[in-house]
Amino acid sequence: MTGLVQALVGGILIGGLYVAISIGFSLSFGVLDVVDLAVGMWVVIGAFAAIVVSEAIGIDAFALLPAVFVVFGIVGWIIAPLIYRVRMSKYALPALMGLAFTFGLATLIRGGLLTVFGYNPRTVPTSLFTGNISIFGITAPMIRVAGFAFAVIATALFLAFLFYTRTGLAIRATAQSKENAGLMGIDVKRISSLVYAIYTGLTAMAGALLGAIYAMTPEVGLRYTLFAFFVVVLAGLGSVVGVMVAGLFLGILQSLVTTYVGANYTLLVVFAVLFVALLLFPQGISRRGIA
Amino acid sequence: MSKRPASGGNPYLNLGVLAVVVAVMCLLPLMTSPYYVRVATGVALWAGIALSWNVICGYAGYISFGHVAFFGIGAYTTAILMQPQHDWDFWATLPVAAVIAGAVAALVGWPALRLKGAYFAIATWALAEAVRELTTVVEFTGGSGGLSTPIRADDNFFFYTMLGASAIAYAVCYLLLERSKFGFKVKAVRDNEIAARAQGINTNLVKIQAFMLSAVIPAVLGGINAYWITFINPQSVLNTLITDQLVVMVLVGGLGHAWGPALGAAAMFLLQEQLRVSYGETTAYIIIVGAIVMLIVLFLPDGLVSLGRRARRMRLIRQYLGRARDDLVKTEAPR
Repeated sequence: MTGLVQALVGGILIGGLYVAISIGFSLSFGVLDVVDLAVGMWVVIGAFAAIVVSEAIGIDAFALLPAVFVVFGIVGWIIAPLIYRVRMSKYALPALMGLAFTFGLATLIRGGLLTVFGYNPRTVPTSLFTGNISIFGITAPMIRVAGFAFAVIATALFLAFLFYTRTGLAIRATAQSKENAGLMGIDVKRISSLVYAIYTGLTAMAGALLGAIYAMTPEVGLRYTLFAFFVVVLAGLGSVVGVMVAGLFLGILQSLVTTYVGANYTLLVVFAVLFVALLLFPQGISRRGIA
Repeated sequence: MSKRPASGGNPYLNLGVLAVVVAVMCLLPLMTSPYYVRVATGVALWAGIALSWNVICGYAGYISFGHVAFFGIGAYTTAILMQPQHDWDFWATLPVAAVIAGAVAALVGWPALRLKGAYFAIATWALAEAVRELTTVVEFTGGSGGLSTPIRADDNFFFYTMLGASAIAYAVCYLLLERSKFGFKVKAVRDNEIAARAQGINTNLVKIQAFMLSAVIPAVLGGINAYWITFINPQSVLNTLITDQLVVMVLVGGLGHAWGPALGAAAMFLLQEQLRVSYGETTAYIIIVGAIVMLIVLFLPDGLVSLGRRARRMRLIRQYLGRARDDLVKTEAPR
């Protein structure tokens, strides 16, 4: 029984980070209308950036998180107009070309990281949060609790920005209807860039946190792409509550599979659940899912 | 009359070019060293797989990032059946590989092809990862250690087998997609699914059929490849890099064109081979692949074949179709 509760708590703690990754991913999907297949690579590159910088200048990785957010936000701001251009291009099949473009981006980042760092797993070094925390007989590593707390704060700030500012209102309007938002005087292109920048920054920051918990190699990026997509499929597009529930569910699912079946089966189980979800709720998962 | 493949004007000239290419390919082993025969076998292999990816992506308009799964399924089927305890004949394993891959494609395509392209793209990507994970955990695939197949050191045999399989695949796809009703159905679904449905086309069925067709080809080629390279493991036949290469080959050649994949496969494979000879195995190749995909999408979305004269007219037609179909184009950012 304690084992089960232990696994559930561990799952929820990791799930918080998945929520932080997926919430930006979901929003950028809604606004840009392109699934960013590079989402997992932003996770990995955020972790590697934290590793390199904290080793080079000797500052703890957790103190670097705001810098990671800013740097990758700028990177996203530079890339977003290209994605926007592809998506709105006059050529045939722009949606498909948008996917191909982000796929190329993911491949480019993966190749770059592999060339520089090789296949060896690396962990983000931190000395701020070590040891375990124990409440009511449940132990959890301090680092996971800290990661969860950071994820909650980042997500809360993001949601506050989305729901209590004028820019946030513009973003939500753009996600609902680009045409009408444009008629209301919203610069859709600028909003798209902004959303993409926030999303890349948030994802890279969550990646730095994940990198302190799990070892990172350039090859695991794909895994996080699948995770983010899993959450968005289960949640349905544009549903903030859905993303939170689905993200925590994914964390719990992963934790249970790791505890009772084996870590090697995680992706198989995730794929099976995804398959069943697509089969049972092709309409229910998301109104936009239907072609 | 259907649109001609975008390679030039005169049909007799096209046939002449085709005949010369076929003759050169058939006589190649007589003319060059075994090294070049192996390179040519690789070109034939990649041309075939790239073609299969073009079927689902270029013709049906659904991007698949899991094609490596079918390649791997084919390779593992052949390798498992050729193990000493089963001892099947090589030729008998290929139909089995094709059937298994087709069944998997139908099973995955059934829920995923009803949805928007992005959902399908990631569902297939997840499929590839799941298949790779499966091969490392179950026993009969030899885990991450892999499997060996009987050794047949006959370069010419594999060259002709691979070339023949790819040529048959091209002929079948050309007849089905450019010269038959099925091809019109597939393209109609791609260009306007609602209109296609209004015409009485069972769009889901057509999409699943196209996906199955595109899954069977890499399975057969994967089987031949497993026999050729004599040793397979998840790292070699289920590597994500294979999908990366498919994407770049088809995009470089020309998405949705009959001969684009062959052109792109030849160009990219020879480039890779040249890089390997000059600099050895390097992950920098992945960077080049990613950069080329991005540049092609941005600046040459119809690939190398669109540089031809006649192709440009076809692009204008597709451009018009794209504009009419995609209401999003109307929402250019207000200036």
